[in-house]
Amino acid sequence: MSIRRMAALGLSAAMVLGACTTGGGATSAPSAAASAPAASEPAASGSAAATECTVGVSWNNFQQPRWAATDQPNIKKTVEDGGGTFIEADANLSNEQQLTDVDTLISQGANVLILLAQDQNAILPAVQKAKDEGIPVIAYDRLIEDPAILYITFDNVKVGEAEAAAVLEKVPTGNYVLIKGDPGDPNASTFLPQGWDNAGLKTKVDAGEIKILNMSGEAWPKDAGTYTAAWKTETAQSNMEAIIDKAVADGNKIDAILAENDSTALGVVGALTAKNYGFPPLSGQDGDKANLNNVALGKQYVDVWKNSNELGKAAGAAALELCKGGDMAALTLPDGLLDPTVAPADGLTAKDFTTPGNNTVKSFILQPTPLTAENLNLVIDGGWITKDELCAGVDVAAATAPAACK
Amino acid sequence: MTNVADAAPVSGQAEPPARSSIRGLIAQTEIDLRLFGMLVALAAILLTFHILSGGKLFQANNMTTMAVQAANVAIIATGMVLIIVSRNIDLSVGSVVGFIAMTYALLMTDWMPALGMGVDFPFRWVIALAIGVLLGAFIGGVQGFIIAYIGVPSFIVTLGGLLSIRGAVWYLSNGAAVSGLDPTFQLIGGGATGSIGGTLTWVLAIVGGIAIVVLLMNSRRQRRRHGFALRPMWAEVLLGILGILAVVGVAAFANSNFWPPGLAERYATENGITPPPGGLKIPTGFPWPIILLIGVTLVMTWLATRRRFGRYVYAYGGNPDAAELAGINTRWTILKTYVLMGVLCSIAAAIAAARLNGSTLDVGTSYELYVIAAAVVGGTSFAGGIGTIPGAVLGAFVMQSLAYGLSFMGVNSPGQNVVAGIVLIVAVGFDTLNRRRGGGS
Repeated sequence: MSIRRMAALGLSAAMVLGACTTGGGATSAPSAAASAPAASEPAASGSAAATECTVGVSWNNFQQPRWAATDQPNIKKTVEDGGGTFIEADANLSNEQQLTDVDTLISQGANVLILLAQDQNAILPAVQKAKDEGIPVIAYDRLIEDPAILYITFDNVKVGEAEAAAVLEKVPTGNYVLIKGDPGDPNASTFLPQGWDNAGLKTKVDAGEIKILNMSGEAWPKDAGTYTAAWKTETAQSNMEAIIDKAVADGNKIDAILAENDSTALGVVGALTAKNYGFPPLSGQDGDKANLNNVALGKQYVDVWKNSNELGKAAGAAALELCKGGDMAALTLPDGLLDPTVAPADGLTAKDFTTPGNNTVKSFILQPTPLTAENLNLVIDGGWITKDELCAGVDVAAATAPAACK
Repeated sequence: MTNVADAAPVSGQAEPPARSSIRGLIAQTEIDLRLFGMLVALAAILLTFHILSGGKLFQANNMTTMAVQAANVAIIATGMVLIIVSRNIDLSVGSVVGFIAMTYALLMTDWMPALGMGVDFPFRWVIALAIGVLLGAFIGGVQGFIIAYIGVPSFIVTLGGLLSIRGAVWYLSNGAAVSGLDPTFQLIGGGATGSIGGTLTWVLAIVGGIAIVVLLMNSRRQRRRHGFALRPMWAEVLLGILGILAVVGVAAFANSNFWPPGLAERYATENGITPPPGGLKIPTGFPWPIILLIGVTLVMTWLATRRRFGRYVYAYGGNPDAAELAGINTRWTILKTYVLMGVLCSIAAAIAAARLNGSTLDVGTSYELYVIAAAVVGGTSFAGGIGTIPGAVLGAFVMQSLAYGLSFMGVNSPGQNVVAGIVLIVAVGFDTLNRRRGGGS
């Protein structure tokens, strides 16, 4: 039985009690995060203000804190600054509810839909309905397998690339440990390792410059590294402890650790602490607060962050453009809207993206931001975390303290 | 009233078998054969992995890691024995651990500082721990009350607990991972600094050795006074020697684990010690989670075998109707097993949180499965009335030795699960055959 599914069940069970308050919670979501980059808002979309534009957003699970904290306020603000109207609905992890939600959004007069799909296939009837009504659909953050959609997300392969690039630059040769996520998740088994290889991991392993200490067989990348069932922190910790014990028994020193995400990286830090091993350069992704704190404390070297403030802005602006009836193929995001380090690497015009299901869709693929002690100020400036949270336990007086904490 | 005690697994009145066979000789020492068998199985597993790893597995450092990893499940399993013995089940333990671990983390990072109890506030960790233990007792009490007094099946109540308490963890932290505990609290999680050190380990070993001798003498005196059959003297001496050797051996083994060189060096410079050539060797001894586990095992064994409460639990498990008719307050007894379980979960949660220096949403997930597996591998029967605390602890070690050995060998978690599942079935299968042939334990 899938533990994650069980947890989700538990969540939705608890959610029944709070169902009445859910709607209120969503609409009164904190808007503090939205205010930060407001000054740079372009006037371009303002000209479209005259046309009626209602943007409908369907969340699969608004209870996950990320959406309320960053994505929603940015979409909302971008749409409303452009003269549009913002409406939304939350499906509480239910595929059925999401179909109903989309119906409701359409009947409320949505001209564009932004969908965060609970399931990329179960959502298809809703997409078909929108297409029948002539309403363009944006697949937000998660792919929907339909050729007519616009796909706005982060480059997941680039995330792996950024993780490995940062650590490889710091530790070009030596003994590496690879901590991967759930073996059933293609991100863990395929996309992130592909990113590591793009950054040069395999080349260096083949050249003998890097040795992987935890190979479970010969096949690359399948047998390279240790998987963590359900991306569970405690499991990553137990695995890492065994890896450290093995390395010590073999007389090997661990020079660097590539962990695929933050929950596993947190477990690695737990193991390193328990073993008093010191903290070799370690990677992660997600920008979890506990991990960003570890970056500030020098316990994790790099945390690759998907700046979802920018993702929200991109979706809001794209929705406004689609409202104007523009052709999806020629869709262009306004200049200066997005942070240039996050904006799509290949320009602000929508590009073709071939999905795993062999559909060709238009897309904006944003770039992730590698955070190290040097540029932690970005997460404070972006409203992602407060300085107090980021710098908890950091000795501000020390020379090694990151600039963002001083 | 006192007749009830006879239902508990006391083997004092068995007829001493003939002295001819080896089996007979062992029977005269009254060593629990199934516990002994599990020790042999554990040794066989470790030896196999030791050989497979080219002689690298069986070292103090590695065994300490394994023991600390097993401590959580073992501590909860001691309570699960009493619950399964009394024909109930607790599926909520993992969620309770998660909930209390998150409570500890938030208490020390957010809630206490907000109340003006900052980092420097004395004994914050004790306050946090006390709140956690009370919370555990409360959750256990509520579930136990519904099971015992309202009569909802325990499977249903605790399945509900599994779901709703796990969901509640989310509301505590809004889904975020929380990190940054009190430095003293972190010691509960073990590691080099979270261990009691060489000297105390020896002191404990000596106390343990003396206790074994005193207990053996006391038991002999009691048996003589009540006219029970005595063990032959050679068996008493053998047991005493074996016990003392085991305690001293484990202590010596634990003390052959030293602080990591980097940490020892830092300690030396901070305290102005000139390290001898080859570096400063500071023995770690027993880590705190193991001390906790030893304490819990002793207390729980005492509760189960020496207190009226424990005898009632076994009596109820053996025959609920008879127990009821004998005048046992069965509902109150059942309620207490769940309160006890909640307290044990709060101890395990403290270890889990301390090890992570914080808590995440998924701390404790699927503990219920590992804990039930440990209890069952340790000889607890779902038919009720049968099961021992030390057996469950050993069961947890058997399961963890497999997981640790396989991950030491670089086998990934799907492979570990396959092996663990097969071992679970084989262990219980052996046990069932054994019981059928032997006609009971």
